[in-house]
Amino acid sequence: MVRLICLAPLLTLLLPGLSGEAAAPRPSGAVVLYTSLPQEIATNFARAFMERYPSVHLEVLRAGSTDLERRLFAEAQAGGIRADVLWLADAPAMLTLRDQGQLQAYRSPEARRIPAEWRDPSGTFTAGRLINMVIAVNTTLIPERVAPHRWADFPKFGKVAVMPSPFFSGSVFVAVAAVVQKFGWGWFERARAEGIHVLQANPDVARALAAREFSVGMALDFIVYGLVRDGAPLAIIWPDDGAISIPSPVAITRAARNPAGARAFVDFVLSREGQQALAAQGIIPVRPDVAPPAGLPGPAAIRTLPVPYAWAAQHAAEIRSRFEAIVLK
Amino acid sequence: MSTRGQAIPARAPRARPHADPRLVAAAPVALVLAATVAYPLARLLAQSLAPGGHWSLDAYARALSPVNLRPLWNTIWVSATSSALAVVAGSAAALLVVRTDLPGRRWLRTLIVLPYATPPFFGAIGWAQLLGPQGYLLRPVLSALGIAAAPQTIYSPGGVVLVLAIYSVPLVFLTVAGALEQIDASLEDAARASGAGPLAVMRQITLPLVAPAMLASGVLAFMAAATNFGVPALLGARVRFFVLTTSIYRSLNIPDFPLATALSMLLVAVSAAALLLLRRISRGPGRWAVISGRPVPARPLRLRGLRWPAATCATAFAVAVAVLPLAALALTSCLKYYGAPLAAGSLTVRHYAYIAGLDEVRRAMRNSAILATLAAGICAALGTAIAYAHLKARVPASAVLDALGTLPYAIPHTVIAIAVLLAWAPAGLYGTLWIILLAYVVAYLPTALRTVSATLEQVHGSLEDAARTSGAGPLRAFRDITLPLARAGVLAGGLLVFLPTSRELTMSILLFGLRTETIGVAVFNLQDGGDTENAAALAIVALAALLVANLAVRRATRGQVGL
Repeated sequence: MVRLICLAPLLTLLLPGLSGEAAAPRPSGAVVLYTSLPQEIATNFARAFMERYPSVHLEVLRAGSTDLERRLFAEAQAGGIRADVLWLADAPAMLTLRDQGQLQAYRSPEARRIPAEWRDPSGTFTAGRLINMVIAVNTTLIPERVAPHRWADFPKFGKVAVMPSPFFSGSVFVAVAAVVQKFGWGWFERARAEGIHVLQANPDVARALAAREFSVGMALDFIVYGLVRDGAPLAIIWPDDGAISIPSPVAITRAARNPAGARAFVDFVLSREGQQALAAQGIIPVRPDVAPPAGLPGPAAIRTLPVPYAWAAQHAAEIRSRFEAIVLK
Repeated sequence: MSTRGQAIPARAPRARPHADPRLVAAAPVALVLAATVAYPLARLLAQSLAPGGHWSLDAYARALSPVNLRPLWNTIWVSATSSALAVVAGSAAALLVVRTDLPGRRWLRTLIVLPYATPPFFGAIGWAQLLGPQGYLLRPVLSALGIAAAPQTIYSPGGVVLVLAIYSVPLVFLTVAGALEQIDASLEDAARASGAGPLAVMRQITLPLVAPAMLASGVLAFMAAATNFGVPALLGARVRFFVLTTSIYRSLNIPDFPLATALSMLLVAVSAAALLLLRRISRGPGRWAVISGRPVPARPLRLRGLRWPAATCATAFAVAVAVLPLAALALTSCLKYYGAPLAAGSLTVRHYAYIAGLDEVRRAMRNSAILATLAAGICAALGTAIAYAHLKARVPASAVLDALGTLPYAIPHTVIAIAVLLAWAPAGLYGTLWIILLAYVVAYLPTALRTVSATLEQVHGSLEDAARTSGAGPLRAFRDITLPLARAGVLAGGLLVFLPTSRELTMSILLFGLRTETIGVAVFNLQDGGDTENAAALAIVALAALLVANLAVRRATRGQVGL
């Protein structure tokens, strides 16, 4: 298997006549993707990709963001990252990986269609989907009009409110950083004083809300959307002071063994077809020319809370420790 | 190799009195232990004392700050309470099943041991679905009483204790039942013949004889509780109830590696204290040697009028513990989402259809089967070698081997995984099945070792002495006398390794790589990624596979191995 992977690009180099374009070898062989996408979405997306590129076999390793970060760190220490492509929710982690020289630049022709703010200027990563931290409510427990409509009001719902933990999820870490930047640590002190509950991963929060264990929560839009589609009595509130929009970046590793295949994957993620496949699963697309899932806004229509990526990347340990000291004690 | 051409008889072993043959035989065992247990843990200790290559006690100072002392105290009281509960329930169940004429004993045995095949993490999910704020069991009670919210749910320190105790009961049960089966009934018969009533026999003969097994399993349960991560993470974190393992996990994710290793050393200290206590209590040569040959089968205690009430209580307990959480998982696996109204419109089989189409699932099942089989075989062999060297052959300094082989029990599996990574990832083992196997062997060797030791302790040395006197060599005496008598213990040791490793999660999640996911990892990833219902479906399928494998083993060994 491994030998085949190494031989494939070599063969196309030796025999340019066999491939359609001499300059870009046709992608084939195995491509390894590390991602924090939920399993079912990842599986469906991988199928769509392999239908478009039948000669490529995409292998997906799915894990939570913090888990993947530990793994990537360990692999980098132990002789090189094994993935060809990374697709994480934790943009600060991507910055760190870029600065450590673990990624390689690729300017996909499809990336031109993505707004410039979601592309790394050096071309090392591009947002492949947009996920949003929003306020979710169980409408059987709390009428939508009574529920908090601004993050500023969220802490006072502490008794019936719930949020995920930045110790499990990269997107929650980003959200905590954004809230601290906007409201200061006092926001968390207040929420803690009111008795906010902290669960583990994002889906735990959406599920606890669906199961009527809590009334309002900080949750990811597409997870709530999926539950609503299954009939759960939930509603998404887009906060007036801004949703925490997290462009989830996709990048090729420097150690990629199948760069041609990795580029094909990035192309597909950013393509119309790829974005449509994501939208079909409730994820807001990053391309303006792809319609968002029914009932969800397009990226341009979302009011957002600024996210301090560079600050979060530099102070990751400090932010998590402070959160622990305030909220988990 | 150079001796190959020489005449071997010329070099009789006894010609060199200073080379103790027992030492020569124990050397390979010592080497394996050094590589698998001592080296990784030494690396870890060094990391905690000298993070970044400079000596510093800063990490320990922070680990012992008031903020971190609370999780330490929580670990101690939670583990003590849950193991005490498990010893009481497990021993009572063992007495009922092994020594009475309780109707349906065989079924009861299977039911009681069943939770051992369930990952505690999964059990915790099942219990959370039963006794959570809106749990399947709690919800009807609340609406009947007209209360909006229960004052106490499974998300509490009490819930952590309850679930930890439940998943330690099988361990106590298996150990105590094994000891009860080995008791020579002639002792009890003698007491009875001297006029002692059944209760007096129980109190004065039976209980003292199985006390070491109860104590040993209690200590093992204490350590299992102290090092468990999944249960307090799921049930305690929500109410800000932290124990050492969850604090360690958090410090790993901060990331604060030195603090994590220092906290781990605190946990090692807690468990080492428990271990020392156990060794102190069970010291003394031949103290527990009560099997001096083939045991005379015991006469079952007649329960008479209590027969059916006792059976009803025991069955109710066993069903509640073994079946209810699985039923909750099964129900969740068929719902569109957990919490959906329990009506026909909420039911679906799509979660099963989804997992049936996943390559990862098939690969994970194969990996887990390979890993669990190898780990069980290696641990049973290594455990037998150490126990024999220590207890029977009395190899000089073999107490060190015994201590090394038991030590990993005191170490959280998360930390074992990190230690193995520290030691062996640079050697190119990262992301392979081998590194997972190494971690399994380190973590579960104590289970096999203690089980085999408990059995060997009861085999009196006089039997082997008799064989030696009759001209058998040490190896022959071991093979013909001790091994057959200890066989049940060795097989039980292997099984006690196979079951938890076949669905291991804590270490696998840190060590798995491409194509080396295990069944526990596959289930966790589904749960973690938000597919609670898919995870429940896969757990049900995995448990069914385990049950089938167990039945196959039981049939193949004619009932000697299996639940």
